[in-house]
Amino acid sequence: MGIFQHKKQDDKSPQDQATDAVTALIDENFQTELLAFGRNYFENILHEAGALFKQDLNTTIGQVNVQLQDHVTKQLDVAVAQVNAELKNHVTKQIEGQFAAYNKEMKDAQELALKSLTDNSEQLQAEYNDLRSMLQKNVADQKVTLTNVFEENKVRIAQMKEAQDLALQSLNDSAEALKTQYAEINDTLQKNVAHQEEVLVSAFESNMGQIIEHYLLGALGDQYDLKAQLPSIIKQMEENKQAIVDDMKL
Amino acid sequence: MTKKVKSTEAVTHESFVLPFNVVTKVEVSRLVTEVERVDNAMTAEAVRKKAGSHEASLPVLSQQLNDFLSQNSLVLEDSRQRSALIKQLRQLKDTVPVLHMTFSVTADRQSLEKLAQWVRKSVHPQAVIDVGLQPGLVAGVYLRTPNHVHDLSLRKMLDGSRQILTKELEALRGTK
Repeated sequence: MGIFQHKKQDDKSPQDQATDAVTALIDENFQTELLAFGRNYFENILHEAGALFKQDLNTTIGQVNVQLQDHVTKQLDVAVAQVNAELKNHVTKQIEGQFAAYNKEMKDAQELALKSLTDNSEQLQAEYNDLRSMLQKNVADQKVTLTNVFEENKVRIAQMKEAQDLALQSLNDSAEALKTQYAEINDTLQKNVAHQEEVLVSAFESNMGQIIEHYLLGALGDQYDLKAQLPSIIKQMEENKQAIVDDMKL
Repeated sequence: MTKKVKSTEAVTHESFVLPFNVVTKVEVSRLVTEVERVDNAMTAEAVRKKAGSHEASLPVLSQQLNDFLSQNSLVLEDSRQRSALIKQLRQLKDTVPVLHMTFSVTADRQSLEKLAQWVRKSVHPQAVIDVGLQPGLVAGVYLRTPNHVHDLSLRKMLDGSRQILTKELEALRGTK
Protein backbone atom coordinates (compact mmCIF):
# COMPACT_ATOMS: atom_id res chain seq x y z
CA MET A 1 0.00 0.00 0.00
CA GLY A 2 0.87 3.60 -0.28
CA ILE A 3 2.31 4.05 3.08
CA PHE A 4 5.94 3.49 2.14
CA GLN A 5 5.58 4.93 -1.44
CA HIS A 6 7.53 7.89 -2.42
CA LYS A 7 5.44 11.00 -1.91
CA LYS A 8 4.94 13.70 -4.38
CA GLN A 9 6.45 17.03 -3.74
CA ASP A 10 3.79 19.79 -3.33
CA ASP A 11 3.46 22.92 -1.51
CA LYS A 12 2.22 21.59 1.52
CA SER A 13 4.32 20.44 4.18
CA PRO A 14 5.12 16.79 4.08
CA GLN A 15 3.29 16.30 7.23
CA ASP A 16 0.26 18.03 5.89
CA GLN A 17 0.60 16.21 2.77
CA ALA A 18 0.87 12.97 4.61
CA THR A 19 -2.06 13.86 6.58
CA ASP A 20 -4.02 14.69 3.65
CA ALA A 21 -2.94 11.63 1.85
CA VAL A 22 -3.74 9.53 4.76
CA THR A 23 -7.02 11.19 5.12
CA ALA A 24 -7.65 10.67 1.54
CA LEU A 25 -6.49 7.16 1.39
CA ILE A 26 -7.39 5.90 4.66
CA ASP A 27 -10.84 6.42 5.87
CA GLU A 28 -11.83 6.07 9.39
CA ASN A 29 -12.71 2.32 9.27
CA PHE A 30 -9.58 1.56 7.42
CA GLN A 31 -7.71 3.47 10.03
CA THR A 32 -9.38 1.53 12.70
CA GLU A 33 -8.62 -1.71 10.97
CA LEU A 34 -5.15 -0.59 10.25
CA LEU A 35 -4.65 0.52 13.73
CA ALA A 36 -5.83 -2.80 14.99
CA PHE A 37 -3.70 -4.59 12.44
CA GLY A 38 -0.76 -2.47 13.29
CA ARG A 39 -1.28 -2.94 16.87
CA ASN A 40 -1.41 -6.70 16.52
CA TYR A 41 1.51 -6.65 14.20
CA PHE A 42 3.58 -4.57 16.53
CA GLU A 43 2.46 -6.58 19.41
CA ASN A 44 3.62 -9.73 17.69
CA ILE A 45 6.82 -8.09 16.65
CA LEU A 46 7.33 -6.91 20.20
CA HIS A 47 6.55 -10.33 21.56
CA GLU A 48 8.92 -12.02 19.22
CA ALA A 49 11.56 -9.41 19.72
CA GLY A 50 11.02 -9.57 23.42
CA ALA A 51 11.27 -13.30 23.36
CA LEU A 52 14.40 -13.17 21.27
CA PHE A 53 15.80 -10.44 23.39
CA LYS A 54 14.92 -12.34 26.47
CA GLN A 55 16.55 -15.43 25.05
CA ASP A 56 19.60 -13.52 24.03
CA LEU A 57 19.68 -11.77 27.28
CA ASN A 58 19.39 -15.02 29.15
CA THR A 59 22.11 -16.50 27.03
CA THR A 60 24.23 -13.45 27.52
CA ILE A 61 23.56 -13.43 31.21
CA GLY A 62 24.45 -17.07 31.40
CA GLN A 63 27.68 -16.51 29.55
CA VAL A 64 28.41 -13.45 31.60
CA ASN A 65 27.68 -15.41 34.68
CA VAL A 66 29.97 -18.22 33.60
CA GLN A 67 32.68 -15.85 32.69
CA LEU A 68 32.15 -13.79 35.75
CA GLN A 69 32.18 -16.92 37.81
CA ASP A 70 35.35 -18.09 36.23
CA HIS A 71 36.92 -14.72 36.65
CA VAL A 72 35.78 -14.35 40.21
CA THR A 73 36.90 -17.88 40.95
CA LYS A 74 40.27 -17.20 39.50
CA GLN A 75 40.55 -13.93 41.35
CA LEU A 76 39.39 -15.53 44.53
CA ASP A 77 41.75 -18.44 44.15
CA VAL A 78 44.59 -16.07 43.65
CA ALA A 79 43.49 -13.89 46.52
CA VAL A 80 42.88 -16.84 48.74
CA ALA A 81 46.22 -18.34 47.88
CA GLN A 82 47.87 -15.04 48.59
CA VAL A 83 45.92 -14.55 51.80
CA ASN A 84 46.72 -18.09 52.78
CA ALA A 85 50.35 -17.62 52.17
CA GLU A 86 50.43 -14.37 54.07
CA LEU A 87 48.30 -15.74 56.81
CA LYS A 88 50.46 -18.83 57.02
CA ASN A 89 53.55 -16.76 57.27
CA HIS A 90 52.02 -14.48 59.86
CA VAL A 91 50.59 -17.29 61.86
CA THR A 92 53.82 -19.19 61.65
CA LYS A 93 55.70 -16.20 62.89
CA GLN A 94 53.21 -15.58 65.67
CA ILE A 95 53.18 -19.21 66.70
CA GLU A 96 56.90 -19.44 66.64
CA GLY A 97 57.14 -16.30 68.77
CA GLN A 98 54.59 -17.55 71.17
CA PHE A 99 56.16 -20.97 71.19
CA ALA A 100 59.46 -19.43 72.05
CA ALA A 101 57.90 -17.41 74.83
CA TYR A 102 55.97 -20.39 76.03
CA ASN A 103 59.03 -22.56 75.89
CA LYS A 104 60.95 -20.02 77.85
CA GLU A 105 58.25 -19.66 80.47
CA MET A 106 57.75 -23.38 80.58
CA LYS A 107 61.42 -23.90 80.97
CA ASP A 108 61.47 -21.39 83.81
CA ALA A 109 58.47 -22.98 85.38
CA GLN A 110 59.94 -26.39 84.99
CA GLU A 111 63.16 -25.25 86.49
CA LEU A 112 61.25 -23.61 89.33
CA ALA A 113 59.08 -26.66 89.82
CA LEU A 114 62.11 -28.87 89.63
CA LYS A 115 63.81 -26.75 92.19
CA SER A 116 60.75 -26.81 94.39
CA LEU A 117 60.39 -30.51 93.91
CA THR A 118 64.03 -30.96 94.74
CA ASP A 119 63.61 -28.88 97.89
CA ASN A 120 60.45 -30.69 98.86
CA SER A 121 62.08 -33.96 98.12
CA GLU A 122 64.98 -33.11 100.36
CA GLN A 123 62.62 -31.91 103.06
CA LEU A 124 60.49 -34.97 102.66
CA GLN A 125 63.59 -37.09 102.77
CA ALA A 126 64.61 -35.41 106.01
CA GLU A 127 61.14 -35.76 107.48
CA TYR A 128 61.01 -39.29 106.26
CA ASN A 129 64.26 -40.00 107.97
CA ASP A 130 63.03 -38.36 111.15
CA LEU A 131 59.74 -40.20 111.00
CA ARG A 132 61.49 -43.43 110.25
CA SER A 133 63.75 -42.96 113.22
CA MET A 134 60.82 -42.03 115.40
CA LEU A 135 58.76 -44.86 114.07
CA GLN A 136 61.56 -47.29 114.64
CA LYS A 137 61.94 -45.99 118.14
CA ASN A 138 58.20 -46.17 118.74
CA VAL A 139 58.06 -49.61 117.26
CA ALA A 140 60.84 -50.69 119.56
CA ASP A 141 59.08 -49.12 122.54
CA GLN A 142 55.78 -50.62 121.53
CA LYS A 143 57.44 -53.94 121.06
CA VAL A 144 58.85 -53.77 124.56
CA THR A 145 55.54 -52.57 125.95
CA LEU A 146 53.58 -55.16 124.07
CA THR A 147 55.98 -57.81 125.18
CA ASN A 148 55.51 -56.73 128.79
CA VAL A 149 51.75 -56.48 128.39
CA PHE A 150 51.69 -59.82 126.67
CA GLU A 151 53.64 -61.37 129.51
CA GLU A 152 51.39 -59.72 132.07
CA ASN A 153 48.29 -60.77 130.19
CA LYS A 154 49.67 -64.22 129.87
CA VAL A 155 50.05 -64.38 133.62
CA ARG A 156 46.63 -62.85 134.12
CA ILE A 157 45.04 -65.20 131.66
CA ALA A 158 46.64 -68.08 133.46
CA GLN A 159 45.38 -66.71 136.77
CA MET A 160 41.95 -66.09 135.28
CA LYS A 161 41.84 -69.56 133.88
CA GLU A 162 42.81 -70.90 137.24
CA ALA A 163 40.13 -68.73 138.90
CA GLN A 164 37.60 -69.88 136.33
CA ASP A 165 38.52 -73.46 137.05
CA LEU A 166 38.14 -72.80 140.75
CA ALA A 167 34.85 -71.00 140.18
CA LEU A 168 33.65 -73.81 137.97
CA GLN A 169 34.66 -76.31 140.58
CA SER A 170 32.96 -74.19 143.23
CA LEU A 171 29.84 -73.94 141.09
CA ASN A 172 29.83 -77.66 140.57
CA ASP A 173 30.27 -78.19 144.28
CA SER A 174 27.55 -75.63 144.97
CA ALA A 175 25.27 -77.31 142.49
CA GLU A 176 25.90 -80.65 144.15
CA ALA A 177 25.40 -79.07 147.55
CA LEU A 178 22.23 -77.37 146.35
CA LYS A 179 21.02 -80.62 144.95
CA THR A 180 21.68 -82.31 148.24
CA GLN A 181 20.15 -79.42 150.15
CA TYR A 182 17.17 -79.47 147.84
CA ALA A 183 16.65 -83.14 148.54
CA GLU A 184 17.08 -82.54 152.27
CA ILE A 185 14.80 -79.51 152.19
CA ASN A 186 12.28 -81.48 150.22
CA ASP A 187 12.34 -84.24 152.82
CA THR A 188 12.26 -81.74 155.66
CA LEU A 189 9.47 -79.81 153.99
CA GLN A 190 7.41 -82.91 153.54
CA LYS A 191 8.01 -83.85 157.14
CA ASN A 192 7.23 -80.31 158.27
CA VAL A 193 4.09 -80.25 156.19
CA ALA A 194 2.96 -83.46 157.76
CA HIS A 195 3.95 -82.14 161.18
CA GLN A 196 2.25 -78.81 160.57
CA GLU A 197 -0.83 -80.62 159.44
CA GLU A 198 -0.80 -82.59 162.64
CA VAL A 199 -0.16 -79.43 164.68
CA LEU A 200 -2.90 -77.55 162.88
CA VAL A 201 -5.35 -80.35 163.42
CA SER A 202 -4.35 -80.51 167.08
CA ALA A 203 -4.61 -76.73 167.38
CA PHE A 204 -7.96 -76.83 165.66
CA GLU A 205 -9.18 -79.44 168.09
CA SER A 206 -7.76 -77.49 171.03
CA ASN A 207 -9.21 -74.24 169.74
CA MET A 208 -12.47 -75.91 169.04
CA GLY A 209 -12.43 -77.08 172.66
CA GLN A 210 -11.73 -73.50 173.74
CA ILE A 211 -14.47 -72.20 171.50
CA ILE A 212 -16.98 -74.62 172.94
CA GLU A 213 -15.74 -73.80 176.41
CA HIS A 214 -15.98 -70.08 175.72
CA TYR A 215 -19.48 -70.60 174.44
CA LEU A 216 -20.42 -72.51 177.56
CA LEU A 217 -18.86 -69.86 179.78
CA GLY A 218 -20.66 -67.08 177.92
CA ALA A 219 -23.89 -68.98 178.03
CA LEU A 220 -23.68 -69.89 181.71
CA GLY A 221 -21.82 -66.81 183.03
CA ASP A 222 -24.76 -64.66 184.03
CA GLN A 223 -27.15 -67.41 184.94
CA TYR A 224 -26.29 -67.81 188.63
CA ASP A 225 -25.99 -65.29 191.45
CA LEU A 226 -23.94 -65.95 194.55
CA LYS A 227 -26.90 -67.33 196.45
CA ALA A 228 -27.43 -69.97 193.81
CA GLN A 229 -23.73 -70.76 193.76
CA LEU A 230 -23.36 -70.82 197.54
CA PRO A 231 -24.17 -74.52 198.10
CA SER A 232 -21.75 -75.54 195.40
CA ILE A 233 -19.06 -73.19 196.77
CA ILE A 234 -19.46 -74.46 200.30
CA LYS A 235 -19.38 -78.00 199.01
CA GLN A 236 -16.15 -77.41 197.18
CA MET A 237 -14.64 -75.63 200.17
CA GLU A 238 -15.65 -78.55 202.29
CA GLU A 239 -13.76 -80.82 199.91
CA ASN A 240 -10.68 -78.60 200.26
CA LYS A 241 -11.25 -77.81 203.90
CA GLN A 242 -8.26 -79.65 205.24
CA ALA A 243 -5.87 -77.95 202.89
CA ILE A 244 -7.32 -74.56 203.76
CA VAL A 245 -7.10 -75.20 207.47
CA ASP A 246 -3.54 -76.46 207.17
CA ASP A 247 -2.52 -73.40 205.24
CA MET A 248 -4.17 -71.05 207.76
CA LYS A 249 -2.29 -72.72 210.59
CA LEU A 250 1.08 -72.23 208.99
CA MET B 1 -32.33 -62.06 232.44
CA THR B 2 -29.03 -61.14 233.86
CA LYS B 3 -26.11 -60.79 231.54
CA LYS B 4 -22.72 -61.89 232.74
CA VAL B 5 -20.24 -59.25 231.82
CA LYS B 6 -16.60 -60.04 231.33
CA SER B 7 -13.90 -57.72 232.41
CA THR B 8 -12.29 -56.30 229.31
CA GLU B 9 -8.94 -56.24 230.97
CA ALA B 10 -9.09 -60.01 231.40
CA VAL B 11 -9.89 -60.92 227.74
CA THR B 12 -7.44 -60.98 224.90
CA HIS B 13 -8.00 -60.59 221.21
CA GLU B 14 -7.34 -64.31 220.66
CA SER B 15 -10.49 -65.13 222.61
CA PHE B 16 -12.74 -62.70 220.79
CA VAL B 17 -15.69 -64.09 219.01
CA LEU B 18 -16.54 -62.24 215.81
CA PRO B 19 -20.22 -62.06 214.95
CA PHE B 20 -21.22 -63.36 211.55
CA ASN B 21 -22.21 -59.94 210.36
CA VAL B 22 -18.60 -58.85 210.72
CA VAL B 23 -17.33 -60.47 207.58
CA THR B 24 -14.36 -58.53 206.30
CA LYS B 25 -11.19 -57.05 207.73
CA VAL B 26 -12.54 -53.61 206.90
CA GLU B 27 -15.46 -54.23 209.18
CA VAL B 28 -13.05 -55.23 211.95
CA SER B 29 -11.32 -51.92 211.38
CA ARG B 30 -14.67 -50.21 211.60
CA LEU B 31 -15.22 -51.87 214.93
CA VAL B 32 -11.95 -50.41 216.17
CA THR B 33 -12.87 -46.98 214.84
CA GLU B 34 -16.32 -47.14 216.33
CA VAL B 35 -15.06 -48.20 219.78
CA GLU B 36 -12.56 -45.34 219.63
CA ARG B 37 -15.34 -42.93 218.71
CA VAL B 38 -17.54 -44.27 221.53
CA ASP B 39 -14.65 -44.03 223.95
CA ASN B 40 -14.07 -40.40 222.97
CA ALA B 41 -17.74 -39.63 223.28
CA MET B 42 -18.12 -41.30 226.67
CA THR B 43 -14.96 -39.62 227.96
CA ALA B 44 -16.31 -36.27 226.87
CA GLU B 45 -19.62 -37.12 228.46
CA ALA B 46 -17.88 -37.96 231.72
CA VAL B 47 -16.03 -34.68 231.62
CA ARG B 48 -19.23 -32.80 230.97
CA LYS B 49 -20.90 -34.74 233.78
CA LYS B 50 -18.16 -33.71 236.15
CA ALA B 51 -18.61 -30.17 235.00
CA GLY B 52 -22.24 -30.29 236.06
CA SER B 53 -23.99 -30.96 232.82
CA HIS B 54 -26.87 -33.34 233.26
CA GLU B 55 -27.61 -33.97 229.64
CA ALA B 56 -26.49 -37.46 228.80
CA SER B 57 -26.12 -38.23 225.11
CA LEU B 58 -24.60 -41.65 224.69
CA PRO B 59 -23.57 -42.50 221.11
CA VAL B 60 -25.64 -44.92 219.07
CA LEU B 61 -23.83 -48.19 218.44
CA SER B 62 -23.93 -50.09 215.19
CA GLN B 63 -25.50 -53.52 214.93
CA GLN B 64 -22.12 -55.10 214.35
CA LEU B 65 -20.60 -53.51 217.48
CA ASN B 66 -23.66 -54.42 219.54
CA ASP B 67 -23.39 -58.02 218.33
CA PHE B 68 -19.68 -58.07 219.05
CA LEU B 69 -20.13 -56.71 222.56
CA SER B 70 -23.04 -59.04 223.17
CA GLN B 71 -21.35 -62.20 221.91
CA ASN B 72 -18.21 -61.42 223.86
CA SER B 73 -20.13 -60.23 226.99
CA LEU B 74 -18.40 -56.90 227.02
CA VAL B 75 -19.48 -53.46 228.22
CA LEU B 76 -18.08 -50.06 227.53
CA GLU B 77 -18.87 -48.33 230.80
CA ASP B 78 -15.41 -48.07 232.19
CA SER B 79 -12.80 -45.95 230.54
CA ARG B 80 -9.95 -48.37 231.26
CA GLN B 81 -11.96 -51.25 229.86
CA ARG B 82 -12.61 -49.29 226.69
CA SER B 83 -8.93 -48.55 226.35
CA ALA B 84 -8.08 -52.20 226.84
CA LEU B 85 -10.75 -53.17 224.31
CA ILE B 86 -9.41 -50.75 221.80
CA LYS B 87 -5.94 -52.16 222.25
CA GLN B 88 -7.13 -55.73 221.85
CA LEU B 89 -9.27 -54.87 218.86
CA ARG B 90 -6.29 -53.27 217.16
CA GLN B 91 -4.27 -56.38 217.78
CA LEU B 92 -7.19 -58.45 216.46
CA LYS B 93 -7.29 -56.34 213.33
CA ASP B 94 -3.60 -56.93 212.77
CA THR B 95 -3.64 -60.66 213.44
CA VAL B 96 -6.99 -61.78 212.14
CA PRO B 97 -6.66 -64.52 209.46
CA VAL B 98 -7.82 -63.40 206.06
CA LEU B 99 -9.21 -65.51 203.24
CA HIS B 100 -9.32 -63.79 199.89
CA MET B 101 -12.39 -64.95 198.06
CA THR B 102 -13.04 -63.81 194.50
CA PHE B 103 -16.46 -64.37 192.97
CA SER B 104 -17.83 -64.07 189.46
CA VAL B 105 -20.76 -61.91 190.60
CA THR B 106 -21.25 -59.28 193.24
CA ALA B 107 -21.49 -60.89 196.62
CA ASP B 108 -24.66 -60.14 198.57
CA ARG B 109 -24.55 -59.56 202.31
CA GLN B 110 -26.47 -62.65 203.23
CA SER B 111 -24.26 -64.99 201.24
CA LEU B 112 -21.15 -63.40 202.72
CA GLU B 113 -22.43 -63.92 206.23
CA LYS B 114 -23.15 -67.58 205.43
CA LEU B 115 -19.67 -67.98 204.04
CA ALA B 116 -18.18 -66.26 207.11
CA GLN B 117 -20.16 -68.61 209.28
CA TRP B 118 -18.78 -71.64 207.48
CA VAL B 119 -15.23 -70.27 207.53
CA ARG B 120 -15.29 -69.53 211.24
CA LYS B 121 -16.84 -72.89 211.97
CA SER B 122 -14.59 -74.93 209.72
CA VAL B 123 -11.32 -73.03 209.31
CA HIS B 124 -10.69 -70.45 212.04
CA PRO B 125 -13.08 -68.81 214.50
CA GLN B 126 -11.71 -65.33 213.82
CA ALA B 127 -11.19 -65.64 210.08
CA VAL B 128 -12.44 -62.80 207.89
CA ILE B 129 -13.03 -62.62 204.16
CA ASP B 130 -11.50 -60.23 201.67
CA VAL B 131 -13.99 -60.13 198.79
CA GLY B 132 -13.04 -59.70 195.14
CA LEU B 133 -14.89 -59.74 191.83
CA GLN B 134 -13.80 -61.38 188.57
CA PRO B 135 -16.57 -62.13 186.07
CA GLY B 136 -14.26 -64.36 184.09
CA LEU B 137 -14.59 -67.03 186.69
CA VAL B 138 -18.16 -67.61 185.43
CA ALA B 139 -19.17 -69.33 188.64
CA GLY B 140 -17.61 -70.66 191.84
CA VAL B 141 -14.91 -69.02 193.90
CA TYR B 142 -11.23 -68.28 193.60
CA LEU B 143 -9.91 -68.80 197.14
CA ARG B 144 -6.50 -67.51 198.21
CA THR B 145 -5.06 -68.41 201.59
CA PRO B 146 -1.76 -66.99 202.85
CA ASN B 147 0.29 -69.65 201.04
CA HIS B 148 -2.02 -71.35 198.58
CA VAL B 149 -4.55 -70.72 195.88
CA HIS B 150 -7.65 -72.82 195.49
CA ASP B 151 -9.35 -72.24 192.17
CA LEU B 152 -12.84 -73.57 192.68
CA SER B 153 -14.30 -71.73 189.70
CA LEU B 154 -16.25 -73.16 186.78
CA ARG B 155 -13.57 -71.91 184.40
CA LYS B 156 -11.02 -74.06 186.17
CA MET B 157 -13.32 -77.01 186.01
CA LEU B 158 -13.79 -76.52 182.29
CA ASP B 159 -10.03 -76.15 181.84
CA GLY B 160 -9.57 -79.49 183.50
CA SER B 161 -12.22 -81.01 181.31
CA ARG B 162 -10.83 -79.66 178.05
CA GLN B 163 -8.90 -82.85 177.37
CA ILE B 164 -12.17 -84.69 177.39
CA LEU B 165 -13.55 -82.30 174.79
CA THR B 166 -10.41 -82.67 172.66
CA LYS B 167 -10.59 -86.44 172.86
CA GLU B 168 -14.17 -86.27 171.76
CA LEU B 169 -13.16 -84.16 168.76
CA GLU B 170 -10.32 -86.54 167.91
CA ALA B 171 -12.71 -89.41 168.08
CA LEU B 172 -15.06 -87.50 165.83
CA ARG B 173 -12.23 -86.88 163.34
CA GLY B 174 -11.25 -90.53 163.50
CA THR B 175 -14.69 -91.62 162.56
CA LYS B 176 -14.61 -89.37 159.47
